[in-house]
Amino acid sequence: MATYLLKTLLKALVVVLGVSLLVFVLTRSIGNPVNTMLPLGASMAERARLTHQLGLDKPLLAQLGDYVVGVAQGNFGESWWQQESALTVALRPLPFTIELSGIAVVISLVFAIPLGILSALKPRSLLDKVASTSSMLGICVPNFWLGLILILIFSNLLHWFPTSGTGGWQYWVLPSVTLAVLPLGRITQIVRTAMLEQLRELYIVTARSKGLPEFWVVTRHALKNAGVQIVTMSGWELGRMIAGYTIAIEAVFGLPGIGSLIVDAIGQQDFPLIQAITFVIAICIVFLNILIDLSYPLFNPRVKFK
Amino acid sequence: MNKRLKSVSIVLLSLVVSTSLLLSGCGSAAPNTPQSTATKKDTIAIAIPSEPSTMDVQFADDGNMRAVTDNVIESLLTLDGKTMKVIPALATEVSRIDNTTWDIKLRPNVTFQNGNPFTADDVVYSIKRIIDPNFKSNIAGFFATFKDAQKIGDLEVHIITTGPDPSMPTRLTLLDILNQKEMLASPDKIKTAVSGTGPYKIASWMKGQRIVLERNDNYWGTKPAIKTVNYRFIEEDATRAAALRNGEIDFATNMLPEYVSTLPQIQTAEGLEFSLVRMNAVSGVMKDQKIRQAASYAINWDAISKSLYQGYASIAPGQVLKPSYFGFNKNLKAYPFDLAKAKQLLAEAGYKGETITFVGEQGRWLKDGEQEQAIAQMLRDAGFKVDVKMLAFSQWLGVLFPQDPTSTPPDMIFTFHSNDIYDADRTYSTYVLTTGSASSYPKTLDAQIIAARTELDTTKRQQEYEAISQTLYDNPAWLNGINIKDIDGMGKDVVYQPREDMRLKVSEMSFK
Repeated sequence: MATYLLKTLLKALVVVLGVSLLVFVLTRSIGNPVNTMLPLGASMAERARLTHQLGLDKPLLAQLGDYVVGVAQGNFGESWWQQESALTVALRPLPFTIELSGIAVVISLVFAIPLGILSALKPRSLLDKVASTSSMLGICVPNFWLGLILILIFSNLLHWFPTSGTGGWQYWVLPSVTLAVLPLGRITQIVRTAMLEQLRELYIVTARSKGLPEFWVVTRHALKNAGVQIVTMSGWELGRMIAGYTIAIEAVFGLPGIGSLIVDAIGQQDFPLIQAITFVIAICIVFLNILIDLSYPLFNPRVKFK
Repeated sequence: MNKRLKSVSIVLLSLVVSTSLLLSGCGSAAPNTPQSTATKKDTIAIAIPSEPSTMDVQFADDGNMRAVTDNVIESLLTLDGKTMKVIPALATEVSRIDNTTWDIKLRPNVTFQNGNPFTADDVVYSIKRIIDPNFKSNIAGFFATFKDAQKIGDLEVHIITTGPDPSMPTRLTLLDILNQKEMLASPDKIKTAVSGTGPYKIASWMKGQRIVLERNDNYWGTKPAIKTVNYRFIEEDATRAAALRNGEIDFATNMLPEYVSTLPQIQTAEGLEFSLVRMNAVSGVMKDQKIRQAASYAINWDAISKSLYQGYASIAPGQVLKPSYFGFNKNLKAYPFDLAKAKQLLAEAGYKGETITFVGEQGRWLKDGEQEQAIAQMLRDAGFKVDVKMLAFSQWLGVLFPQDPTSTPPDMIFTFHSNDIYDADRTYSTYVLTTGSASSYPKTLDAQIIAARTELDTTKRQQEYEAISQTLYDNPAWLNGINIKDIDGMGKDVVYQPREDMRLKVSEMSFK
């Protein structure tokens, strides 16, 4: 277990460093940020002065050196755009994004698991066909469009929920439901496939033949074994959301998440902030993957960490 | 049931199931959205597209920040919202002593929102801070002519300029005055909760959620009607419109023409920006004056305004200046759309179908990509062979403002030009003067532009700009485009006339 953790953390370090390096090089290749920061009409002298002050006239390797030394000390520099520690700015929307994504994944699991199981139990039935078609629809519907349609129906027509912003629980409903639709579709299909696979296994035949009620056969045996795939998929969906997939939802519902922050940071060409955000996201994803790995023994005791 | 019908019914059923799932997910114990039913409304909710990056007005060039800070912090002079005439604010009198010295008399008995008195020290501090190169202000360029500021008395300041600066009064409308004592005591406070002299003070800023302003009851000027201002940040235009229809907000900036018919009330004003297509008058095919004139006749701006902006755009009057800007030439009119004339000029110039590179970008301004495509197509209709290059914004900027001044400019490049100091000098120093950051015009006008920029006699200066604009009309540096109107959406009960300078002043708003 200890060796496994050590190995995984080492791998994670390599991943995070690799991502940081890649982002560093990529940001430097998208043009001079000074042009975005200054008003359009700024003079050549003003542009040259700011370029120098930001250290962007140094050779790339020297800039990289400064960056690595800074990061080693936990210092990502000050955000050029927000004039605050880039790490502070990058961490600010994280709790909100994790909360929203978490709620969305829970919502999708609550519907996807029963739907997937029922489809797997009666493959090719009407229910199965309806479930797979709806989940395909869920995957295909663009979520910004869905969000706007939900606002039209539930805010403008029915006045059940506010259109946008943050506040009490009613503010969470439309964004998290919109966000849940895509993972709902995908997880339903994963549950169905995984359950179909498990239900074909010999241990199910054994369980059934020893007279275990079908409910327990399905939940305690088949579902538990399908758990590895379901957790992996849900974790992947969660990771995707934290990595900025929530952007359209944030824009539509006026929410302060990490997705809009990334897009703004890129738009402003705020290199320190882009670097800090990608670093934070990389850490989150790596951590999430470790958690998923560690959960496997809960479903399958044969899983051993080496 | 045949197979086809069966699959159709499955799709329909699936739709029903997914909608009912959504419905059940929404819960049944739904509350009503907070409806504002108070009889006497004194709180206004305003939606801006995104959250301000900072409250440091001297640092950032950020319209969302300005929508807040223009109500909190004041400048020495200000503009009349209707006439764009410079009027006193924190200064009562501004006069020129000699070519490079300006005397400013300050308004007595003004206090900052935290109780500090407003004095000459605050003005000197504010000027020194913004022109300090180490401060890295993004708007320092507006004050490039400032050399120093000196305190003469408690309520008197001298500003020293590097040379004669006829635009000084306009510059003073952009110079926000900070609270020196507060700045020295807590330098970081300005990023979130600055205290100014304005009619509103920042009560709170919950990052990511809202900014709340409260009326400053010790304000020296007229007491505003509205007591509390609640700013929300909603990026998506359709959501701003939906929130406005729902009464969740009372006021939303930057509405799209498409949503106008669904909104309770709108008001419009011409913006500060004109689209323009800069042409390379120095080298390449477009060097020929006749070819640039042909392009000017080839564009049907009226059609662009009507079809892309539903008429919420006005055509530039033969120059990219508004009548309220200094240097406007009232004798100029937009080139008429005349395809025959364009073709004739092209034939006279001996144009043989050489490829014209047209550089554009997308997503920075309202329907900029569509406007570029329309212009390119109209040029093709006139006989030009146009190659449109759509670049990412930062790349496009690098082409418009090249790092290497000797690089060859493209034949045509599309941009929007905003005149921040409402003065012809801003436009011509940037796009015409050969040392300007985005110039591709021969030296011929350099002497005139430099003379006008330092001319202190306003009548003479006006004539000089009129002459420059006339030359640029006859021998075009760019295609004069359109000015897209800014549309503010409002609740039925809101009374507000958007200002010509685009500043959002809550003190000028009220409820019916």
